[in-house]
Parts: sequence; structure tokens; C-alpha cells
Amino acid sequence: MRDNKVQTILRVDLSTAKTCLEPLPEEWTAKYIGCRGIHSRLLFDEVPPGTDPFGPDNVLYIGTGPLEGTPIGMGRLSVACKSPRGTVAEGSCGGFFGPELRRAGIDYIAIRGKADRPVYLWLCDGKAEIRDARHLWGRKINETDALLREELSDPDVQFRYIGPAGENLVHSSPIFGNRDNSGGRAGCGEVMGSKKLKAIAVRGSGGIRVADYEGFLKAYQHFRQRVDIATSRDVWTPIWGAYGAPVIVRVFNDQGGIMTRNAQEMHWDEEKCNRVSAEPYLEKYVTRAKACFCCPLPACKKQHEIRSGPFQGFRGGNLWAAIPSVFGPLLDNDDLELIIVMAGMCNQYGLDVFHVAYTLAWGMECFEKGILTRADTDGLELRFGCPDKAGLLDLIRKIAMREGFGDLLARGCAEASRVVGKGSEKFALVIKGQELEAIAQRNSYMVALGVAVSEVGPDHTRWYPPHPGHPGLLKNEDLARLGVQLDLSKAAQGRNPEEKGKVLRWFTISRAIVESLPSCVFLIRDTLGFDLHPWHDLFQAVTGIQVDYTEFIRAGERVMNLDRAFLVREGFRRADDRPPLRMATEDVPEFGYPKLDASIFDRMLDDYYRANEWSLKTSIPRRHKLEELGLGDVATNLEKCGMEVET
Amino acid sequence: MKKIHVIEDLCNGCRLCQTFCSSLKNGVFNPDDPQTGIRILKMPGEEQDIPLVQCSGACVRSIGEDDQPTCVTLCPTGALVYGNLDFARARRLELAAARKTHGLFKVVAPWKWPFAWAKPRKGTGKGEEGGKER
Repeated sequence: MRDNKVQTILRVDLSTAKTCLEPLPEEWTAKYIGCRGIHSRLLFDEVPPGTDPFGPDNVLYIGTGPLEGTPIGMGRLSVACKSPRGTVAEGSCGGFFGPELRRAGIDYIAIRGKADRPVYLWLCDGKAEIRDARHLWGRKINETDALLREELSDPDVQFRYIGPAGENLVHSSPIFGNRDNSGGRAGCGEVMGSKKLKAIAVRGSGGIRVADYEGFLKAYQHFRQRVDIATSRDVWTPIWGAYGAPVIVRVFNDQGGIMTRNAQEMHWDEEKCNRVSAEPYLEKYVTRAKACFCCPLPACKKQHEIRSGPFQGFRGGNLWAAIPSVFGPLLDNDDLELIIVMAGMCNQYGLDVFHVAYTLAWGMECFEKGILTRADTDGLELRFGCPDKAGLLDLIRKIAMREGFGDLLARGCAEASRVVGKGSEKFALVIKGQELEAIAQRNSYMVALGVAVSEVGPDHTRWYPPHPGHPGLLKNEDLARLGVQLDLSKAAQGRNPEEKGKVLRWFTISRAIVESLPSCVFLIRDTLGFDLHPWHDLFQAVTGIQVDYTEFIRAGERVMNLDRAFLVREGFRRADDRPPLRMATEDVPEFGYPKLDASIFDRMLDDYYRANEWSLKTSIPRRHKLEELGLGDVATNLEKCGMEVET
Repeated sequence: MKKIHVIEDLCNGCRLCQTFCSSLKNGVFNPDDPQTGIRILKMPGEEQDIPLVQCSGACVRSIGEDDQPTCVTLCPTGALVYGNLDFARARRLELAAARKTHGLFKVVAPWKWPFAWAKPRKGTGKGEEGGKER
């Protein structure tokens, strides 16, 4: 039986094949909460600057937090390590692995070293065993899943694994689970592959005891009321909760927030857009709803099947909003079946969809502008509109297997454009070496700032939802009562630089808390985005730790500052917090979206750093702020590493 | 006689019913507790989830105010129905009729979809082009 105050960490050294389970300091649960928060602390403490990301000293953390295993956890799991790009690599994913891990008596796994042959890790009720995985190496995700299930012969064993892409150290590959859940796109799968760790399997039989059950029930009922599709005040909750994510493709297109043809345009033909949006997807392909552990939303995820045509019988799931946005307009492809199959193939090979979509779009633009020719692309007609479907699907396989032209794309946009040169750098939509996501920036300054300052590379879940809530639902006085000093009507204007720094700071802090509990950021819409009281009550009821609301919010600030400290210690500075070159230099005049002017962007960046009390010149957190948060040792560590920490 | 009836097609496999049910007696969340009145059988390959009920519906305690078993109150999709056989039959017919009007009801029960203003219909407004495509 687990209580939730003291969290445990299983340390695994793959070089020596030793494992040991030890407790973490008790005060960490109040200070960093858990999950993403504790990963940030561990990463800062245990991965020194200059560590080789693919070397044995990089540590891969996989862990949950104190609320996991209760119905608030939503199965969220954080994976973290130092990214091969040098940034923090942290990602959250859903499913059922998290609760199973906690019920096995383990909250975190820290994996060091490198195995000399492929292995997998089998965890069962606190016991860890490193097993041979030579028969799994090279297998696709779905095959690995089936083989492991057969081997362990228990339908409730939960897995995390990598596909061939992770094994081959393909840029940005994430860690997968339950076939279509993935997390850690900043390179956690690559690092797992470099350690020759194919999979982790876990089964637990323990229960999770909450400290105050009556209090928990009350808090849960209140929480449920706020997020249930039937009772929520937030307009987006029922639409997202039932239609699922693809619904926003059309909404974004109506607002000019779609990146068409590698972001050369900001709007897509409406007829084409309707073909890839939620309605045809629901009518034609969806077979049933799917959910992560104990999620109160009915159908955020779905299972689909193509029943006729050239892809007949293709099954998969979890067509996320970003997928039709990036495989659709970005490549000018209005064939929903092709989108489903491309995404399904990325899942099978363990690839990151954003990496694949943006490198393909980069390749297409290079091809159309004559920088790449058929001689470079192994004879493939790599054009927008995807005329050669079979060739494109084969190219996805080649990226994962690093064959021929695929090997160039497997290095990611930034690296590939460096190799090719000839002005192709401009077509690479990257920040900190990492490809963008699906949300456009020229018409939403909040998104532009958010992706640029994110410590893991572009990742909208760091401040989810990407646009602040509907200003009609919350008055500024209500916000002030919640401790947020903000003019929401200005903050909600897409192309107004005012208030963006402040609102982004609040969103980043509060989402860090939600991901540290852990709970799911995709539940947050409009009003809930500014009000963390439901989670505060639940945290107190589950752990029995009494903290006041302001102190609870501070935990999120600590996490944000630790992430930033890790980033600056690896050498990233203000100059790296930049939008991609294309957004900053190219207008899209026909739709009225001028480029993101440098002076406007600098103003927002100043606002953001000032609100966080970071150095305006370097973005290094200032000493007095770190000390105020109880992170004085972090400031000292930065100084020892030769950083200029302002007072 | 009132019973908990199951509409398998709507179950999304979240295990909220199972997890909550296990906690009602002693405040410990353990879906594997043998006393748990409802279990979700997961089919391999994430293809289907089947709720197995071994409970009369007389809860240890009900956390909803609507006098229903906790699992039925909490089910997000409407896959669990509490009532007599006629009621369960009527719900199934309602679902089958709704499914003919919109694909949304493949994933959520019409009695769970909240707002009349937002109840989607085929081929209205901007969705028309997509409708023709089908």
C-alpha cells in the first residue's frame, strides 16, 4: 500500500546491470511536487554540463508523481533526459503505464550507463530485472507490443518502448506506449536507443491510499464539475472532449493560423481543409473512443480503421490535432487517408510526426526550388500536394531505417539544411534545433513567444492551451482574486504584444504544476487555465501535505527556473530564444499577416524575462529570485560553472 | 428490477469505474482488488474494452446526487446505464437513432452530449463541403 508523501526512485545502471530502489527526500514532495518537477531537479543535479547526450552519463528519467494512481493522475507519465540538441528533453504522455508503475512501488526510474546488447527492463512489484531483448531489436512498435504481451502473458502489463527510429538514433524520436501514445519528442527515444534499452514493462498489484478520502471525494466532485462536458463553463470543453482534437484544424484555418506549404502561407483552401477536419474523420474512419487512465473526457482519443480503398484494413489510433495540421496543409495534402497512414507509420516506426512532417515540407520546398533534385531524393518526385503517395510512405520507412535519402532527413531539418546549404536554411522551421509544432505564429504573438522561450524546444503543452482563454468568461477582477494581475482582453488579442510576457509566465508556471502532480494539461480550457484551486485541493487531500495556494504555485516557479538554469548551463542564451527565420523575415501579404518584427518580439521577450526576474541580457535567472524560491544552491552551481548570475 | 447495463460499443476503456469502485470501501485505489464490482477487460491491440459487471448496483456509497451507482454517475461516455430492462432497451434505441444522424455518437452517448445549441447535425453550415465529400 502506497501513501503519497515519500516518493521512491529505482536507479538502474545498464553498464553494470545493477539496480537499487531508494527513497527521495520527503520535503521534495512539497517543494517540487513530482513527475516533471522532480525530473527537473534530478536533471539539474545529476547531469553535469557538457555531458554527451548519447554517452553513458546521460540519465533517462521516467516517472510519475504523488497523484498518479488516483483518478486525477490521468495516467500521465513524464520522460526526461538531456536532449541530443543540448536542451532539456522532457515530455509528458498518457496511457496506463504511470499508475501501474506507482502500484509496483516505484515512482521514478533513472537509467544510466549503456548495455552491451539490446535489453528490456521488467519491473514487478518493486523488483527489477534486466532481460535480453535481442529478439525485439529492429521490430516495429506494434510488433514489439505483441511479442512482449505474448512473452509476459498478462493483459494488464504496461509498456514503454522505442521503435526502429529510436534504435537508429533518428532525430527527435519519442518513447511510445500502448502503440499510439508517445512522449518526449525532444529526443528521449534517441537517448533510450543509445542505451540499447528497447522496452520497459511494468506490473504492480499495490493500491494507492489517499490521506483524506472524504476530502478527496469532495474535491474530485468539484473538479469533475469543472471539466465534465455536461457541466463545464468553458466553451471548448464539450467540443474537445467529444469531437477530439482534429476539430481545431478548421478553427485555426478560419483564423489564418495554419502553416500551409511549409508556412509560406497562413491559410489553406477551405474545401481542402474540410476534407481533413474532424467531421469526415468521425463519420468515415472512427471506430470507437479511447481514453487514458480515468480521464473524465469521453473521446479525446479515438481508434480508427480505413475500410476501403488502397489502404484498406489500416488500423491505428490517436489522430491528434497536430497530425492533420502538419501532414495536411504543411504538405498541401488533402487526402485524409494518406494522413492517417502517414501518422500510423510514424507510430509503427517510432518516429516523431513533427520531425517527419517538417523535414518532408523542407525537402518539398527545396525540391520545388531546385535545391534538391531527383538524383538527391532517390528518384522521388518530392512535391507539395504529395503526388507520389507510395514513394512518400516508403520515404518515412527510409527515415526510420536511415536508408538513402532518408538518412539525410533522419538528421532533422536543422542539420539537413546545414548539409545541403544553398539557402535551404531559410526553409528549416526550427528553434533550438527542434522542429516546430502545428500552431502558427505570425498571427498569434503568444504562440511565437511561447515556442521561442520553451526550454525543450517548441512545445505548446508547456503553456497549454496555446491561446489564453475567452476574455468574456473571466473579468480582470476575478483574475486578480486568483492572484493573476493581468488584462485578459489585451492578452487574448493575437497580434498585440502587450501582456504576452505576463500571461505566458503564468501559463508556464501553472502548467508546470499540473504536469508535476501529474494531471493532464489537455483538460485545461478558459477559466480553469487561471484557477488551480481544484488541483490544490486534490493535492492536499491525496498527500496530506498542507500548503497554502501561493506556496503551491511557487512549486511551478521552481520547476520553470530549474529548467531555465539547466538550459543556460548548457550554453543557451537570449539569442537562442528566437522564432524561426521565416517567421521573422517573410510577410504573407495576401492574408494580411506581416512578419514577426524583431522590435515587437524583443519587447515581448523583455516583458517575459522581466516578469520572471531573469537577466534581460542573458536570460540567466537572477540570484535573488532563485534564493527566494529556495534554490540558492542552483545560483551557486551556475556561478561555479562560470555563469554571470546577476543579483 | 434495476441493474447496471453495459453498452460495450461506448466504453473507451478509461477504467474510471473500476478504479473508483475499488476505493469506495476503504479509500484505497486498486483496480485489481477482487472486491471490485466492475472490471474492464482490455482486448489485445487496444481494439476493444469490455466492462464486466459483477454487482447489483447497490453501491457501498454513491458519490453522485442522482441516486445512481458511482460507476454510472462517473462514466464519461454513457457506456453504463442503470435501470430496468425497458429503460436499458430505450437507451440502446436512442443511441442507434442518434448514430444515424452524426458520427459523434459513435464515441459519446446522446444523453451525455450536453447542449441543444451545440448538438451537431450532418451537413450544416461550414461542414457542408465535407458532407458532400462523403
